[in-house]
Amino acid sequence: MTTEAPRARRTLARLERILVLVPWLLDHPGADLEEVASRFGITAAELADDLDVLGYCGVPGYGGGDLVEVSIFGGRVAVRMADFFRRPLRLSLREALTLLLAGRALEGVQGFGQSAELRRAVAKVERALGGVATPSLAIDLSGPGDEHLPALRAAVAAGRVIHLVYRSSSKAETTERDVEPWALIGFRGAWYLQGWCRLAEAPRDFRLDRIRAVSVTEEVVPGDRPRQQASPAYEPRAGHATVVLDLRRPAWWVAEWIVCERVEEIERHEIRRITMHTSQLEWVARLLLRLGEHAEVVAPAELTARVARLASEALDRYQTH
Amino acid sequence: MTDRLERLINLVIALREARRPLHATEIHARVAGYGQPDPEAFRRMFERDKTDLREMGVPIETVPLGRFDDRPGYRIDPLRYDLPEVRLEPAELAALAIAVQATGLDGEAGSGLLKLAVDAGDPGAARPHGEVAVEVEFDAPHRSALMEAQLVRQVVRFTYASPGRSSTRRTVDPYALVHRRGRWYLVGHDHDREARRAFRLDRIVGGVKRIGEPGAFDPPADDVGIDDVLPPVPEGVPETAEVVAAPEVAWLVARRARGAGTQEPARGHETSEGTLGTSPIPDGDTAFTVPVGDPEQFIGWALGFGPELEVRVPPELRAEIIKRLTWLAKRS
Repeated sequence: MTTEAPRARRTLARLERILVLVPWLLDHPGADLEEVASRFGITAAELADDLDVLGYCGVPGYGGGDLVEVSIFGGRVAVRMADFFRRPLRLSLREALTLLLAGRALEGVQGFGQSAELRRAVAKVERALGGVATPSLAIDLSGPGDEHLPALRAAVAAGRVIHLVYRSSSKAETTERDVEPWALIGFRGAWYLQGWCRLAEAPRDFRLDRIRAVSVTEEVVPGDRPRQQASPAYEPRAGHATVVLDLRRPAWWVAEWIVCERVEEIERHEIRRITMHTSQLEWVARLLLRLGEHAEVVAPAELTARVARLASEALDRYQTH
Repeated sequence: MTDRLERLINLVIALREARRPLHATEIHARVAGYGQPDPEAFRRMFERDKTDLREMGVPIETVPLGRFDDRPGYRIDPLRYDLPEVRLEPAELAALAIAVQATGLDGEAGSGLLKLAVDAGDPGAARPHGEVAVEVEFDAPHRSALMEAQLVRQVVRFTYASPGRSSTRRTVDPYALVHRRGRWYLVGHDHDREARRAFRLDRIVGGVKRIGEPGAFDPPADDVGIDDVLPPVPEGVPETAEVVAAPEVAWLVARRARGAGTQEPARGHETSEGTLGTSPIPDGDTAFTVPVGDPEQFIGWALGFGPELEVRVPPELRAEIIKRLTWLAKRS
């Protein structure tokens, strides 16, 4: 919107709502006030305020027969003399494009693309756009491990406990665990399963590409488990180690992919010094193995030794023959 | 600001119901809410109302007042105002509502969804019932502005921060928007480079300006898509490598061998012979042929397994890995 003041935005949001409310009320004379409010996701008081404003509006002249008639009687609403608002306002280009985008986003994702209803909805919205060319879009939400999506989606929908064979990246070890799943999340190009892990006795995110095997059990997820839906992004906690690394240019991508507390440019912008936190040094050591001479450990000192140890273990494999 | 809300509703009604376009002075005199005597104050108010209503999608047209009067007049054509019948079935509406929620686009698509829900006779259906079990981090700054520019074929200009280089101003014919691995890209014709380029939306600094008129360029003759945003694979690089994996990670390596998670089509496989290169495969380990792609990415992938993976062939990649490990091992 051009006028960015919150008050102006609220006014425009109310206008938008009134323009979609009136067509519904015209079609449903005598509708219950409370019920209308709940259908539109607003309070009865907000609805009454909107209707109050509407009663002062009409065609110029504004005499008898020109104004919109609003009556609220015994908790029932009727709107008359508002034929100009019989239909909702046409979809704006932005609304239509965003709806199409949402509808087409999941098309290519395993376990979602089969929705015939969604495809029909997208086709109808495209038609409503009225012969305008459709947007040129390519969306690839696939990612390693997405072969597990159909089974996991079914388990989440049915609320079944699942049994996972999972290799954690933080400790580089494989474990078996039962999980009460509650959501699948696509985040930064990877898919995650979120749920209550019975092994950790805590909410956990599992990256689908680290799931070796899934089996869906018959056990129904208990309904009383508190759910905590948060982004799978790492959040530092008390007791986590602080790591400081100097990255040369070829390793700068790291600063974009992991959660850093601080990124500074030093040595005439040739080096990025990142400060980050982690619960496990193992994955940082493996990351450093990948980065080689492009990264330098500033702290903690034990990390350098750990990387060297890991490197010589790997070398052993190469030099046994 | 009930006054302004009333005035805006009255303006929409007046422009929609008038039998002919209205001149600004007529709007000033007749539409409730524009009562102030100062013409300049009226003009500012009317401009702001008009802009906000158009932004919302209300089709206020500026046309000549009459056949012999070319002063500007304003009107709303009811045919352009009314939502045509879309008539989504309940299941179609529900699927769309879930898609909007799952993609995190409800902020921008919510109002449109509500219109469709009222059209379908069930405004409550605009809000999906129960918890939505899928979420995709999907929105990006500038996405809708660029989609609109692409759709109407209008040139865009923005400042772009290439990694490790100073920011440059780019002028681009937007061809398509591409989403891959959690990132949005604009693919288009870069005027200064005179070539097709892909731009990451999160590297655009500041705003995106649409310049010139719509319809300024022809869409490209060939397809635009995911291929345009894939990193180029250097030439003269071996297509495949042969690796030996410890049992712990064999399934992960098998995934790459199948081609999943890489940009290459599946052409790798599990190697059945008992030896690879010149040495036998240790007990319990598995040999795989995997696609290489970008060698730097491949080396990174292989090194990330630590002692659990060995690259046997090609020799140049094996030598590079040994060189890097030796350097690291000496650093404690």
